[in-house]
Amino acid sequence: MLFFLASCFLSLWYGGSEDLNNQITFTNNFIFWQIRVPKSITAILAGSSLALSGLILQIIFRNPLAGPYVLGISSGASLMVAASILAGSSFSFMTNYFYGKGFIVLSAITGSFIVTILILFISKKISSNVILLLIGLMISQICGAIQTSLEYFSDSNSLKTFVVWGMGSLANTNLSDLTIYLPFYFIFMLSILFFIKPLNAMLLGENYATNLGINFYKNRFYLILISSALTGLTTAFCGPIAFIGIAIPIVSRLIFKTSKQQVHLFSCILIGSSTLLISDAISNSIFNSISLPINMITTFIGAPLVIYLMFKTKHW
Amino acid sequence: MNQTECISIKNADLGYIKNNSHLTVLKNINASFFMGEMVGIVGINGIGKSTLLKSISGLILPLTGEIFINQRPRKQMSLLELSQQISVVLTEKIEGFNLTAYDIVASGQMPYSNSFNQLFNNHKAYINEAIKACNLSDHINKLSSELSDGLFQKTIIAKALAQQTPIMLLDEPSAFLDYASKHDIFILLKKLSEEKNKCILISSHDLDLLLKYCNRLLIISENGCELISTKIAKENKSFQIISGGHIQQYY
Repeated sequence: MLFFLASCFLSLWYGGSEDLNNQITFTNNFIFWQIRVPKSITAILAGSSLALSGLILQIIFRNPLAGPYVLGISSGASLMVAASILAGSSFSFMTNYFYGKGFIVLSAITGSFIVTILILFISKKISSNVILLLIGLMISQICGAIQTSLEYFSDSNSLKTFVVWGMGSLANTNLSDLTIYLPFYFIFMLSILFFIKPLNAMLLGENYATNLGINFYKNRFYLILISSALTGLTTAFCGPIAFIGIAIPIVSRLIFKTSKQQVHLFSCILIGSSTLLISDAISNSIFNSISLPINMITTFIGAPLVIYLMFKTKHW
Repeated sequence: MNQTECISIKNADLGYIKNNSHLTVLKNINASFFMGEMVGIVGINGIGKSTLLKSISGLILPLTGEIFINQRPRKQMSLLELSQQISVVLTEKIEGFNLTAYDIVASGQMPYSNSFNQLFNNHKAYINEAIKACNLSDHINKLSSELSDGLFQKTIIAKALAQQTPIMLLDEPSAFLDYASKHDIFILLKKLSEEKNKCILISSHDLDLLLKYCNRLLIISENGCELISTKIAKENKSFQIISGGHIQQYY
């Protein structure tokens, strides 16, 4: 197990250094510190947030195919970000940098929280894991449609900001963004530590968890809040990033054959951030002059992986 | 019976709350159960056997009246205190997420572990004791989805045992099992109730097994519930009455 953790660390550093080395050779110090480092830090934060968010969702729904992107939670966050960017130009406080960013972050968290609660209510009415995914897909379609119609009525300036953001990119985050991102990130990450026992108990289902002294509804509410906050936070800064949230926890469970969620929490942080770092490195190195959208790479890595695993594994 | 009373239900209406209206399943229930006895709960499907067990275990609240656990009102007990008094075995399946039989048994120690759910030697001793008592040593590293129905049922019973509670509630533990496994489980439970002085409540449709192994029967019908001692019933020929009168009414 230690060996695997060590290899995760290695891949993390490899992903990071590969990314950095590329650039050191033909750029100057300024670009390195102002663009490369923030981008790598963003990749680490976003990758681990999404992976953890996915892990929590999979446990809450007791569905190994849940994830922030496939359940439409990322879309809910995007919609709210779109609404706040497009409507925001009419509010005076949006011109202040911190209030503006803070407003966007808060609305993204609200958006993902609303969708998660909605999905939770729907999941009580249906029993099938697959139908839940279909409903998630429909919700993300609806959010997408509303978003498009919002864009239709917006002015060109905010439209451009939004379209660039909507593709999902790690590069839009600068150092001052990170001063907002990092504290929030650490608050939510540390708060997960209080829920290790409930997460383990929830694997047994509502009734058994309650019988083991765990207040199921209260813990589930807080966990949904944390999971939505992590998704919303990431979406606010990087746009919707696909498949990290669903694929990483599955990979983690395949590597570490344990049901101890404290192990999976840490391995999701490591695997999630290293995967996004490597994806970022790939997106920058395929073509010399342009970097591909990060979503393309994560989908190329994540979607076939999920399909393959669905075929291969019978027991989750 | 001059034993310690551990569960007593007083004038309780049991049921569910749905859309702010009460769905009463069992009306005006009065019953007491004692340490070291094994009570079988019988009744037709949907009469409220599971509701009764869930109400006692605290998974649902009684609509009116009060349930006392070890002479303390259930309302005053926290979930954690309750989890150290009552363990349940339900009909739900537990699957996936790499859960092995050992993980499920080990979860029985959760009410006693720290907030990081670490297991120390004293926890592991209880877990291993439970595994031994249920004869699970050979299957302990299997994934829960690989276990047969009988082994899975034993695993859950071992979990309840590892929870170290004076009261165990079992909801149809013998459903889906073959005849030999049914007897295995009832013999195991009988041993537990006698050796460890536990109070064990079992709901089941296997009347022959309940009559053979239980001390008393709780018969639930539309008119309410009735407690009958199996021993006295058999000796006094009132067994005839049970099998002829009551039981036929229910089956």
